[in-house]
Amino acid sequence: MKAYLLKVVCVLFVFIVTSFIGPNEKQVFNFTLRNINGKNVSTQDYNNAKGFIIVFTCNHCPFAKLYTNRLNDLNTKYSNLNVPLLAINSMDTLLYEDETFELMRQKANKEKFNFPYLQDVTQSVGKQFDAKHTPMAFVIWKENNEWSIKYKGAIDDNGAHPKQATSYISIAIDELLNGKSVSNSETESFGCSIFYRK
Amino acid sequence: MKNITLLFVLIILFKINVSGQSYNTLWIPDTLSGTNFNLVIKDTFAQIVNSGNQTITGGINGKFWGPTLFINKGDVVHMDIQNKLNDSTTIHWHGMHLPAVMDGGPHQLIPPGTMWQPYWEVKNQASTLWYHPHMHEMSQEQITKGIGGFIIVRDAAESALSLPRKYGVDDIPIAITDRDINTANQFAIVPYGDSIMANMTLRAQYPVPAQYVRLRLLNGAIETSYNLGFSDNRSFYVIGTDGGLLNSPVLINGAAPRYLLSAGERVEILVNFSGQEGSSVFLKAYNQSLGNFIPGGESFPGGPFASFLGHTNYNIVKLNVTSPTSDPITSVPVSLVNNIFPLEADAILTRTITLSDSTGVTSVPILGPNAFILGHQLFNFNTINHSIPLNQTEIWELKSTSIFAHPFHIHDVEFNILTINGVAPPAYQQGWKDVILVEGGKTVRFIAKFDDYADETHPFMYHCHIALHEDEGMMGQFVVTNLSEVNEISKDEILINLFPNPSNDKLFVEFKNENQSAYYLTIKDVLGRTKLMLPSPDLKTGIDISELSAGIYTISIVEKISKQVITKKFIVN
Repeated sequence: MKAYLLKVVCVLFVFIVTSFIGPNEKQVFNFTLRNINGKNVSTQDYNNAKGFIIVFTCNHCPFAKLYTNRLNDLNTKYSNLNVPLLAINSMDTLLYEDETFELMRQKANKEKFNFPYLQDVTQSVGKQFDAKHTPMAFVIWKENNEWSIKYKGAIDDNGAHPKQATSYISIAIDELLNGKSVSNSETESFGCSIFYRK
Repeated sequence: MKNITLLFVLIILFKINVSGQSYNTLWIPDTLSGTNFNLVIKDTFAQIVNSGNQTITGGINGKFWGPTLFINKGDVVHMDIQNKLNDSTTIHWHGMHLPAVMDGGPHQLIPPGTMWQPYWEVKNQASTLWYHPHMHEMSQEQITKGIGGFIIVRDAAESALSLPRKYGVDDIPIAITDRDINTANQFAIVPYGDSIMANMTLRAQYPVPAQYVRLRLLNGAIETSYNLGFSDNRSFYVIGTDGGLLNSPVLINGAAPRYLLSAGERVEILVNFSGQEGSSVFLKAYNQSLGNFIPGGESFPGGPFASFLGHTNYNIVKLNVTSPTSDPITSVPVSLVNNIFPLEADAILTRTITLSDSTGVTSVPILGPNAFILGHQLFNFNTINHSIPLNQTEIWELKSTSIFAHPFHIHDVEFNILTINGVAPPAYQQGWKDVILVEGGKTVRFIAKFDDYADETHPFMYHCHIALHEDEGMMGQFVVTNLSEVNEISKDEILINLFPNPSNDKLFVEFKNENQSAYYLTIKDVLGRTKLMLPSPDLKTGIDISELSAGIYTISIVEKISKQVITKKFIVN
């Protein structure tokens, strides 16, 4: 009887655990976008990259604006470990006057971005990642010469108080760098919606 | 046994400790007064939950909700509404009697980055109104974000009365809502919340002076009705409903004095705190006594309508009685104002509006599986459901065959309830109303006069004020037409002068034919982004274009009578 109960508990445990595994592991393709310095940046330019931190952000979103320093810090720390950060603006420039390339350039210069700030003018990269908000972060990792999404969601769990925040991105990358699977592969992202033109 | 007793003691002590620490001071919205109002609607965030992440909100001139607008009857008020949201929106002046083109319904869409400039003469009597988004299919989401605000209309009759009038001291606005706050501290877009909020404050408390205090209570919820009462079952006076003061205060007393406030409704009450300094009392929702088909009375164990607050009683705000003010109100006026309601004998017709479930209606695709409908059809932007002659008095018969209760709201007019299921309404509902909860299977008759504003182009709306139902199409629209005004529609070409062009401050528009005028004016930039929307603009003083950056713009004017459109280009330098 006890053995039977143990089996039932084990089956339930496996069911519960598998139910909570996020829908990650989606593959994404290399992309090339224009940086604010006018030059194209491609994921293929980074020969030594083990992975990338991809952050969809924009100029006008109040919640996204909170993260500039944290993005600089993440890029400083992880580009040295061959996991550089690329920020992408997929906002519709026709709908939002604040999202022009020139204003992206001004923002990046003023706020001293130490990472590429790329314009996804056709929104194709945003669609590929299914980026829903700014800010929304992804960690992609190279496996068999292809990129897999290992984490998607919020950058951390406290926008206004960085010192109180737990960095989901850092945890995910540290785990990947240590050869582990990502323990928290998906969190809720929120901020300003990215609307895609059909 | 000792261990169990100890455990219970520890649990009780823990709860006392938690509850003692957990109150937040009720946030009182800032105020704006005068005749010119600048309102900027924006995406923002706020520390709604005490710890952890901030909540994405929508605010008007602030982090959520919006300022309370004080306006005076007889004044012409001008609104500069700037949409800095990530999405289009509208702002509806709920309860306000004004031209349809200024009303802010679903047809007055304000795109992101656009300024909308409605204006009107305040004809409403002293009352507690409110403003909120009314974008079709997006109302629930945008109201959930917290976008809205109170409007307090003043007039001479109300000012002459000895009533509490010190805003935030003895005259306290409380917008009651509920939200479902998820594990990431974000508002879920659901009809019922698990957390009650007063003025967007969780677990609110507020000081009230030991005297008569006026509470202006607004149900700003998506769906829930609140069966309001006080934790000590004290009596209170209802002095005003949606559209203004009653003829005289109505005492709500008995063993369990309650006032059922449904979504969109307002009530002004007087509560006596005299001689109670140092004590506290809770304003509560006693929703356990509500039936299963009253919004907030349901007790679903799961699914989209499940809520911890369903069919239960809960605190809304703790009121802590402090010392009285220097000039307290210590009595209740015997009479208030002399409301003159339309007479039944003057009603030209009775218009029947059915409220029903959509089951079996297949003519129009529905958004949800259980949508409710008005007049046996879903809302259609291009269908004018009713045309009402200007100055006509009508009886509207709201006939429910629905299983569920719906708060019915009509734009343009305040109405007077004649009967509820054939019986005169209770005294506290015998004032001006613009929302009435129509219970399932019941019939409500009200009377209203559709005066002052005729417009055959822009409709007014009527709808269920449960935002989910409204979004799903439980809405209709009517136009008020002026049959006596026979305008000969000119076939003349619309010719205008624009000057100065180029300009950088004021742009003047002059019709060459003095019988022509502007019904609607829109300015777009070279990429087609709408920058300015001016309903019925007064062109004599010029159009303020000082906020436009240098470039080429297109001005489009819809002529008032012919509705012909003329488009010209101008330069801002």
